[in-house]
Amino acid sequence: MKARLLALSRILSRLSLIVMWLAGLGLVAMTSVVAYQVFMRFVINSSPAWTEAGAIMIMSWFIFLGAAVGVREKFHMGFDVLLYVLPDSALPWLRSISDIFIFIFAAGMVFYGSELAIRFWSTQIPVVGLSTAFTYFPIIVSGALMCLFIIERMALRLAGEPVDSASVASEITEV
Amino acid sequence: MEYAILFGVFTTLMLLGTPIAFCLGLASFATVVYLGLPPVVVFQRLNSGVSLFTLMAIPFFIFAGDLMMRGGIAARIIAFAGSLIGHVRGGLGQVNILASTLFGGISGSAVAEAAAVGGIMVPQMKARGYGADYAVNVTSMAALIALLLPPSHNMIIYSISGGGRISIADLFTAGVIPGLLLALALMITAYIVARRRGYPTEPFPGFRKAGHYLVVAVPGLLLIVIIFGGVRSGVFTATESSCIAVLYALLVTLLVYRSLTWSEFVHSTLGAVKTTAMVLFIIGSAAAFGWLMAYLKIATLMIDFMSGISSDPLVILLMINVILLVLGTFMDMGPLIIITTPIFLPVVTSFGVDPVHFGVIMILNLGIGLNTPPLGPVQFVAAAVGKISIWEAMRSIWPFYGAGIVVLGLVTYVPALSLWLPALFRGN
Repeated sequence: MKARLLALSRILSRLSLIVMWLAGLGLVAMTSVVAYQVFMRFVINSSPAWTEAGAIMIMSWFIFLGAAVGVREKFHMGFDVLLYVLPDSALPWLRSISDIFIFIFAAGMVFYGSELAIRFWSTQIPVVGLSTAFTYFPIIVSGALMCLFIIERMALRLAGEPVDSASVASEITEV
Repeated sequence: MEYAILFGVFTTLMLLGTPIAFCLGLASFATVVYLGLPPVVVFQRLNSGVSLFTLMAIPFFIFAGDLMMRGGIAARIIAFAGSLIGHVRGGLGQVNILASTLFGGISGSAVAEAAAVGGIMVPQMKARGYGADYAVNVTSMAALIALLLPPSHNMIIYSISGGGRISIADLFTAGVIPGLLLALALMITAYIVARRRGYPTEPFPGFRKAGHYLVVAVPGLLLIVIIFGGVRSGVFTATESSCIAVLYALLVTLLVYRSLTWSEFVHSTLGAVKTTAMVLFIIGSAAAFGWLMAYLKIATLMIDFMSGISSDPLVILLMINVILLVLGTFMDMGPLIIITTPIFLPVVTSFGVDPVHFGVIMILNLGIGLNTPPLGPVQFVAAAVGKISIWEAMRSIWPFYGAGIVVLGLVTYVPALSLWLPALFRGN
């Protein structure tokens, strides 16, 4: 059982790496799109209409994909004041409670994101020519990934894996 | 009751250690459910909160800063600063501050700056006999200069949190004099401490050598001109100039310095994605939180409350400064800007304070909070680079805090320090 769980975790680890790379590609793509816009505006003297909306769409993809990976790799910023006061044994409990709440919000992203996508199915994003529903896909996908990663962590924790140990501050990210 | 739910859920979850983005989102979710509003509004705000063209400047500036840090621009700027000011008493401390000021002009991130400048300077300073605590404190405080000098992405966050009507060009310009003032105050403090501790001086390398270092550093320093000139003149929007900053950083590190490897490029890209995903996800959920604060008219309540205490803007600003300093020790800068701007900005503007001026006060104030435990990310990085604990650094940081607070006081009570330069530029 535990071996199967760890195998599954390795697959999810690969999935999270792929998602991270996709998000990285998104950043590069967004840079290219805005650079193209600047080039067209200043050199060719005609602004393409789609670049702004297109770049925004790419940005919202990589933000929400990155945020999902952040749940798994724990690079979201939190505030661990209770841990200074409570004994170390409280850590898994605090983390479990947090995980449940993250799960609730992530499930909300999937559920209400879908509701928005369905509601706006027939309207169109100006200029880009796509359904407005596309705007809400990043939230849905990100929420689903977050749910998956939380279930993974809860399962590993129950199986006695050290998911909460140190390494939280492995990489300091920007403020 | 709805106020208790909004702030109560937020605080409780935060104390439990839930990531801030989720605390904001869940507090909004709970309040919306309690009020009987459709919960879908929270997620709609989450999405529309990050779908702004102006916000794009944040990933770009972070990306550019990371590329420059890894691509060797920081090292060349430090060499140039060293040739200028190394021969003063406690010279390496002065070099650290000057390099931070110059690097701050091309990167807006205090953490990146503490890592870039501190990573090179702190080991050097320790090797030359400086106390690790001194090296760490100079690094962490000097890193705050980057927050005030353009391109500061925290100012973009402030502009958006303030409703998006505060000019980013004005904010960028307004931070220049306070940023230089902070540099000066830190240099004086570092000099006094260095004299007292008898720290060494470095030999002056001669004008030829200094000129050589300048020439090598110029391609990096040119970015200051491009960013500031582009945004200020209105030729580029902040987003466009941030994108140009990325391209320029790539150009310089790949073609001029030839020091950026493929693996460093990948690291930069993924690092920038992580950072921006974290920051912008908070901005998105804070948009939901902010929408509820507006719905519940919290700013109006705050104005009534504060004007009940005093009608003197100086007293109001003092109170807000104290509140922000206290909050800043516990929380990070980005989320605090997003949460407190919609509450305090209407208050101070009702007392006649200029929004641009208040932005500079807030950035400097919360910047000091980045160097205070329990949550001081910049101090954390600097202490890690210096291989000492936060508490060792804390023992001798007080003169530097003092310098920061004096500058904060000046910036708060002399509006001209922030507002004179933007007015001068607008006049042209």
